[in-house]
Amino acid sequence: MSTTTNNKSELSATADEFLDKPEYAQVTRDVRPTVPRYRNELGKYRVHRASTCKQCGRCVEVCGYGVHTRPTGYKLLIRPFDYRCIGPDCEKSDTCCLKTCPENALSLTINPAFETIGDFRWTPELIASTWRMAETGHAPGPGQECEFGASGGGFDRICLKFPDSPPATLRPEEISTEVLLNRRNDSRQRLKIDVPWYGGGMSFGSTSINTILSRARTARAWNTLTCTGEGGYVDRLIPYADHVITQVATGLFGIREETIQRAPVVEFKYAQGAKPGLGGHLLGDKNTPPVAAMREAVVGVPLFSPFPFHSVYSIEDHKKHIDWIAHVNPRALISAKVSTPADVDMVAVGSYYAGVHIVHLDGSYGGTGAAPNIAKKNIAMPIEYGISRVHRFLVAEGIRDAVTVIASGGLRSPYDIAKAIALGADGVVIGTAEVVALGCIRCSNCESGCGCPRGITTTAAGYCDRISIDWGTQRLINLYSAWREVLVDILYRLGVESVAALRGRTDLLYHLDYEPEDGA
Amino acid sequence: MKSRNASDMKLALDRAQTILRSRAEFRPQGEWLRKPMEAEGGCGVTGFACTIPVGGKHIYEPSIQMRNRGNGKGGGIAACGLVAEDLGVTPQILKEDYILQIALLDPEARGEVERKYIEPFFDIDQGGIIPTVADYRDVPLLEVRPPDVARYFVRPKARQLEFFAAEKGLSGLSQLDLEEEFVVQNSLRLNTDFYASLGEKRAFVMSHAKNLIILKIVGYAEAAVQYYQLSDTRAHVWIAHQRFPTKGRVWHPGGAHPFIGMNEALVHNGDFANYHSVCEYLAQRNIFPQFLTDTEAAILLFDLWNRVYKYPLEYIIEALAPTTEFDFDQLAADKQQIYRQIQAMHMHGSPDGPWFFIIARSLVEKGEFQLIGITDTAMLRPQVFALQEGEVSIGLICSEKQAIDATLESLVSEDKRFTPIADKYWNARGGSHTDGGSFIFTVSPTGIATNGDAGKYAMTIVDKFGNPVQISKEQVHCDLSSPFNLPADGRKEAALIEQSVQEREPRLLYDHLKKEMAGLDYNRLRWFSGQIVEQMKLKAPGVGIEALTLLLDHHYPVGRKKRSSILTILRSALEEIFTAQPLFDESGDGTYRRITWESRDRLRTPAGAEKTLLINACGFSPEGADCDATLAVKAYQMGWKHLVHYNSRGTRFHAAGFGPKTDGLRVDCYDNAGDYLASGMDGLEAYMHGNAQDQLGQITKRGKMVIYGDVGQTFLYGAKGGECYVMGNAAGRPMINAVGRPRVIINGTALDFLAESFMAGNPHEGGGFAIVNGMRYNEEGNLIPLDSPYPGSNLLSLASGGAIFVRDPFKKLVDEQLNGGVYRRLTKSDWKLILPYLRENERLFDIRIERDLLTVDNVVRLPGEVYRKVIPTKDAELETDMEGLDECYA
Repeated sequence: MSTTTNNKSELSATADEFLDKPEYAQVTRDVRPTVPRYRNELGKYRVHRASTCKQCGRCVEVCGYGVHTRPTGYKLLIRPFDYRCIGPDCEKSDTCCLKTCPENALSLTINPAFETIGDFRWTPELIASTWRMAETGHAPGPGQECEFGASGGGFDRICLKFPDSPPATLRPEEISTEVLLNRRNDSRQRLKIDVPWYGGGMSFGSTSINTILSRARTARAWNTLTCTGEGGYVDRLIPYADHVITQVATGLFGIREETIQRAPVVEFKYAQGAKPGLGGHLLGDKNTPPVAAMREAVVGVPLFSPFPFHSVYSIEDHKKHIDWIAHVNPRALISAKVSTPADVDMVAVGSYYAGVHIVHLDGSYGGTGAAPNIAKKNIAMPIEYGISRVHRFLVAEGIRDAVTVIASGGLRSPYDIAKAIALGADGVVIGTAEVVALGCIRCSNCESGCGCPRGITTTAAGYCDRISIDWGTQRLINLYSAWREVLVDILYRLGVESVAALRGRTDLLYHLDYEPEDGA
Repeated sequence: MKSRNASDMKLALDRAQTILRSRAEFRPQGEWLRKPMEAEGGCGVTGFACTIPVGGKHIYEPSIQMRNRGNGKGGGIAACGLVAEDLGVTPQILKEDYILQIALLDPEARGEVERKYIEPFFDIDQGGIIPTVADYRDVPLLEVRPPDVARYFVRPKARQLEFFAAEKGLSGLSQLDLEEEFVVQNSLRLNTDFYASLGEKRAFVMSHAKNLIILKIVGYAEAAVQYYQLSDTRAHVWIAHQRFPTKGRVWHPGGAHPFIGMNEALVHNGDFANYHSVCEYLAQRNIFPQFLTDTEAAILLFDLWNRVYKYPLEYIIEALAPTTEFDFDQLAADKQQIYRQIQAMHMHGSPDGPWFFIIARSLVEKGEFQLIGITDTAMLRPQVFALQEGEVSIGLICSEKQAIDATLESLVSEDKRFTPIADKYWNARGGSHTDGGSFIFTVSPTGIATNGDAGKYAMTIVDKFGNPVQISKEQVHCDLSSPFNLPADGRKEAALIEQSVQEREPRLLYDHLKKEMAGLDYNRLRWFSGQIVEQMKLKAPGVGIEALTLLLDHHYPVGRKKRSSILTILRSALEEIFTAQPLFDESGDGTYRRITWESRDRLRTPAGAEKTLLINACGFSPEGADCDATLAVKAYQMGWKHLVHYNSRGTRFHAAGFGPKTDGLRVDCYDNAGDYLASGMDGLEAYMHGNAQDQLGQITKRGKMVIYGDVGQTFLYGAKGGECYVMGNAAGRPMINAVGRPRVIINGTALDFLAESFMAGNPHEGGGFAIVNGMRYNEEGNLIPLDSPYPGSNLLSLASGGAIFVRDPFKKLVDEQLNGGVYRRLTKSDWKLILPYLRENERLFDIRIERDLLTVDNVVRLPGEVYRKVIPTKDAELETDMEGLDECYA
């Protein structure tokens, strides 16, 4: 399909010109199984079929996970989809292919390549379970880890405390996952999103157009939001304008009045948790002609955003800055994205008094490979501390219900989301999880060369076409659907009737470093 | 320092050490726990110094102008150079006594405070609770009851002083030094006991200076004036501060500004990135902040360097805002030597900005009063200085220009010796070799003071280095309070006005007045402008408005008149024409309609010949739904294509918010249009008739902006395009992060960081550039070159595209001013590229290419001899067109 990004006329066209194209067709939340882009997806196990196989098809009959298939009309079995295999646990069941194979032709080994993907925070297991959710649209099956990573800190040490049995009156289908974004009681729209998360800023330049459009289409399908990132507003996003946040970052790249005016939410990026004290940067190789055209910069030159806003050095400048955007768009909600310094509570309350609707706390666990380690690992406080600190401070100030607190930075799963909300956030922003759903293996080379070999964080021709918009959209819709399913299940098991009611319920959490696991 | 011999030095050092050691008792027990700074955002600051004492009501108006820089959770004022009778004391007491002002957060604490810290140590000449409004709720916007303030006029008891000197080993100090240290330490003890120690906060010392008082409240600064009934209390120097503490509930004003040193009060806008480092530095000298704000740390530093180390003001300023980089290189060798020592010694205590201080100071021994403004080296806070000289002189410092004009307007309403427009407005360049980032207004008594404060005062203004800021003594203000007479023969002027009306040609009047202005006396000018109003306001308002606007915008020789007086006369004539235009419910069939705050609901689509909407900004809010800029957007949506904002007092966002593709829209702004003017414009034309403020033209895309004056901080930040013409200077960081194709002419210069991270491609292939002409108008109205076309250390730093063309015939710019750029000769194609913009510049400002720009020492030069080009190093490698300009002419 022709989804090249360097087509000048497409970049400068208006909304109407897009609408009759198939990619703008209404997308629904319907789950559709969406297989990986690669024939042999990485999985934990390797299932080997020896030459002694007689093609009897017994394995196809018993396997409930779709590892073995014989396409209709074919005589031979095809190579096992071993990434779907649940491993040795299966041997306990009657449906294990190894046990049932009359020829003992099947063997199971650990795939050594699997351990090479990911990192401590995004373990191979978490990546694989995210892939599964993006493929199936449902909670991952047994044996699929989707709660804990191996970071040894953060959300990996916080557990949810489930009561023995949920209250009998609670029905899963009545559990609400809505989040209200405007609590200021002003004349601006009272925007609600259907799930307690929205997409974080990833600019055109840092990611491909197909990634961006997939995210936007999903945001529309799920009535939530996505964000332009700081590179400006891609014209092809215009049809999704009601679900696209315009980010105003310190470089002011690509920001124009019309991009501010069409946004339901305008987000000021003061800092990123992944690199507090640094502005965004796009290395020269990723500054391709289409990216440079949108940012109106010189091709091939690294683009650094300053830190901080040169026009904002204090709270009254901040207020003035917000007033400006509010003047340009009298409808939009205003969000301030800040990192989590030691005085993050002051930053939050200051932002509230300066007029924001959303305080967006960005912790340090997130960020793609482009964020330098020195910044990522040494500055600002962990997000779980930041959330709780801000929540409590705002409660003490008596303004907690007048502002929406959104947390981001390394939220990988519905479990993380539930934990963040129980710590005191109203909702979260996600980024990496979506990228993983699109096939990211966390190789952490997002910034180098012309970018991502998997075609996600790149704009280079020949790479970015590796994801089609339809495939990307469906993967993300599936992910959202699975996440909501899991989240509703968590809430049900916790006995909490809505996301809103979970906020600040630290009594439902315990920390592995401080409390022994009780009967939960 | 050279003249001092070693033993003198040692004595001074011993003296300083003794004082610091004497404060050992204030060191907290055990390990000193660093307390975090109370979070605080920026603020608004304002202040003025005047040769006559004026009432506190005049700090009221500028404080209101600064209101949106605070949040009503902390405000304060200081007054210095008071009038004895207003305080109910004799001039001698005012001169000799310390005025101890104590905030009683707990009114019951008074007796205890007096018993413990006042009666035993001081002879009290007068004392009591200062008067207030009966019920604080009668003061608008005051939500927290301000504390009772007890004021005592005191002198330290001689015996106690002796005892103190003996106990602390301070016998070597002079009587005055000893007294001052005694007063300071007594206040520290009082604060420790009643405020800073754990537990209930009951009382603290607001001020303890001679002839200077501080009052602060939880609320806006102006409420302090009202609540403590200071409207008619007169003083030579007033400063005020609007605070923006980010903590929600504030119940007492302990953290509000100003803070007291010894005889100086300091207000501050900004915050210190290195608060902890500064506190460590202070702790090493036995100085411990009690109120946990960086402002307090600032005044503690000032007091340390001033009173303990006895530094002259210049060195104090150097310690606060060090001279660095290119600026340091420009200093004389002996100065470099001293400055290097100061920097080595005090770098850890040097507050890392952004900050801007205003200090009111009483110089006890000389009977002088000072107003000092200091900006940090990075110049990241807004600041404007202004001066008006005449029968009475006044110097003003403020965060935003409209507060200066509001002060003057307030003063004019009471005393016609003031004029509503200052003679001179300027910015300081922080840590620079040119002005050092600081200006000091000193009000000194002249001649024989008959008794105490009744003497006459004069004002001197110097920069950090002591270089005076001078304005012409030849020129005089117009006495606008006296009526003017009919001139003997006004036929010629009358005929000219008639002809202008007939031909609809404003330039006839403009050309005539421009030529004749130098010889014209005030009487004739006032009569003439009155005639223009009378003859044109109904018959040809457009011609009148344009003629007067041309005269307001341009510079021309003015003879012995002050330009500020001429502008006042012309501006009030213009106001009369504006006011004569019909409101929406009034009859009229002209091209103008007028709208005001009161009649704002009557806005409708233009009908008949109507073309221009005059928006009287008076009464509108600075931002939000009630801002005149919001009304302008509505008017545009209804079909108005020419909008005029006048009487703006800092209302913001003019010419912004109209959306994309606004070709054909024109916005004119008079007076003090606020920040973010013409931000995001895409096709429209914006004209600012006078100085503009900060953040102009952010993200601007297309269109035209013309500024008949200076522009403030971060002009064109992130701009994508547009044509911009600035008659005067830009402050810090113009065009930073600009991309695309902005094309800008700055006829003056910029403070620093011009076009940092500029990414505007190749100017010859549609990219952007800036032209810096480095010129200024002198007071006579003639265009002259600046000493250096660009004084800053950073020109086109870290840029990847674009170019800067600088008029620099004497090659004054050097490589040290670049960081990633190179100088190049102007080529023929460069000249071809910039010429159309210079032509438009000529048309707009009458800055002629040949007469003014290419003429150097009375000889017309070739463009290549006058202009230089700066381009990013990367582009220089790709350069091909190295052709000279030998045969190229304008």
